[in-house]
Amino acid sequence: MQATIALLLDTANFTLALLLVTLGLVVIFGLMNVINMAHGEFFLIGAYVVVAVSGATGSFWLGLLLAPVVLALVGLLVEWLIIRHIYHRFIDTILATWGLSLVIKQGVVVLFGPGAQSVPNPLPTAVDVFGVQYPAYRLFIMALAAALALATYYLFFRTKLGLQIRGVIANRAMAASLGINTRRMDRATFAVGSALAGFAGAVMAPIMSVDPQMGVGFLIPSFLSVLVGGVNSLVGALIGSGVIGGATTIFSAGISQADAQILVFLLAMIIIRFLPNGIIGGRK
Amino acid sequence: MLQVENLVAGYPSGGRVLKGATFDVAKGEVVALLGRNGMGKTTLMRALAGQLATQGGSFRLDGRELGNCPSYVIANEGIGYVPQGREIFKDFTVEENLLMGVLGKPRLPNRLPPDIYDFFPVLGERRRQKAGTMSGGQQQQLAIMRCLVGQPKLLLLDEPSEGIQPSIVDEIGRTLQAIARSTGLTILVVEQNLDFVETLAGRALFMENGVIADRADRIGQLRERPELVHRYLSI
Repeated sequence: MQATIALLLDTANFTLALLLVTLGLVVIFGLMNVINMAHGEFFLIGAYVVVAVSGATGSFWLGLLLAPVVLALVGLLVEWLIIRHIYHRFIDTILATWGLSLVIKQGVVVLFGPGAQSVPNPLPTAVDVFGVQYPAYRLFIMALAAALALATYYLFFRTKLGLQIRGVIANRAMAASLGINTRRMDRATFAVGSALAGFAGAVMAPIMSVDPQMGVGFLIPSFLSVLVGGVNSLVGALIGSGVIGGATTIFSAGISQADAQILVFLLAMIIIRFLPNGIIGGRK
Repeated sequence: MLQVENLVAGYPSGGRVLKGATFDVAKGEVVALLGRNGMGKTTLMRALAGQLATQGGSFRLDGRELGNCPSYVIANEGIGYVPQGREIFKDFTVEENLLMGVLGKPRLPNRLPPDIYDFFPVLGERRRQKAGTMSGGQQQQLAIMRCLVGQPKLLLLDEPSEGIQPSIVDEIGRTLQAIARSTGLTILVVEQNLDFVETLAGRALFMENGVIADRADRIGQLRERPELVHRYLSI
């Protein structure tokens, strides 16, 4: 019973962290039709912002607050330098953002070295959850990720800015003919998506090995989540993250990491084979 | 108000559909643009809305050159566009569709005016309904109001009666005429339905092969000079 509760908590923890990365991918892909291969490296930069800030000031929390701000600025810069020139050329955006991911990874190696960094756990206590001693910081991650996912949903479905962004997604030409500055919407969305990835990297830094390869470890499952859940949908991102995050944690509990990965990929392939448009399919 | 000079536009590949259209529309006028399919009417409308790049010539609204401006700039300068096929946001409610008409206009408040549903009451009854579930005529009324709520100086209407039952076509024609008379709204309308044109428009331009080939300076001439209709509209 206790093992089940611990497993459920681990599943929820990974799913919610994955959801933050996946949401960023979905909003960028949904609006701009850009597959951002450097999204995992935005996650990476977020973690290294925490390493740098907590190293310099001793405050983890300051790093956690700064990471999304830094990544929003990085997002704006990347959009301005690269994406805006090529976003009509779908294949080229994949190539360009992949190149960018290599540059960022090597830049991190140059600045911080190739080895793993560690960030001390800012909440080193355990909390009793239904008889299970569970790390307080992991509960904090879950609460924060759930709150941010809700905030993203609120931004897109309950605000006038969100209505405009969804209008641009649904019919870019018509939204522009109603006066909406679609370029500004692109920029804002790219910055928000990047900030979400950076925040996820920052919040996960204390419970992961912070090294230059950590971005890929989140990029692949979050792409799988997008495909399994359904492209172009926030609810699809939630369902996909649940399936991929849940399967990864549950399989890893019984067998080796590598075997668990194989099973997760198989599961994703089976789902996509029978539901090519993802679990929520055409619905938006 | 609108001055179009030798406007050239067409496919992105460079193929020309509009081959040098020249005409003026004065403030408060309702002008019909008539011609057979494929003569360049919709291309002209899309170019004026900024959805197609112009390849030559120019057009000005109140003296300001707008050729090759992005469509969101053109919309904010006062050209409202109701495209063929309406292009409403099907997954949005009626109210959300109307809001889209003001949210992109920094000089307007970010909410709907209280009298918005006076012109087409059916939109008020269905304001919480998804726009895609309404009939074609109701969607057309929505597309027109979504444009008008943005307070354009010039309204571009492309085939508003297409695929709509006649009773609603009449209602749309009468409502637009009332709005144009009371507010001084200028309208350029592409239309195949001559009854609708006679209800609404004051004069007509005839398009052939991408240029303005002829004109009827009073709408009554459509009946007085049947050879015009025969020459430019019969198949």
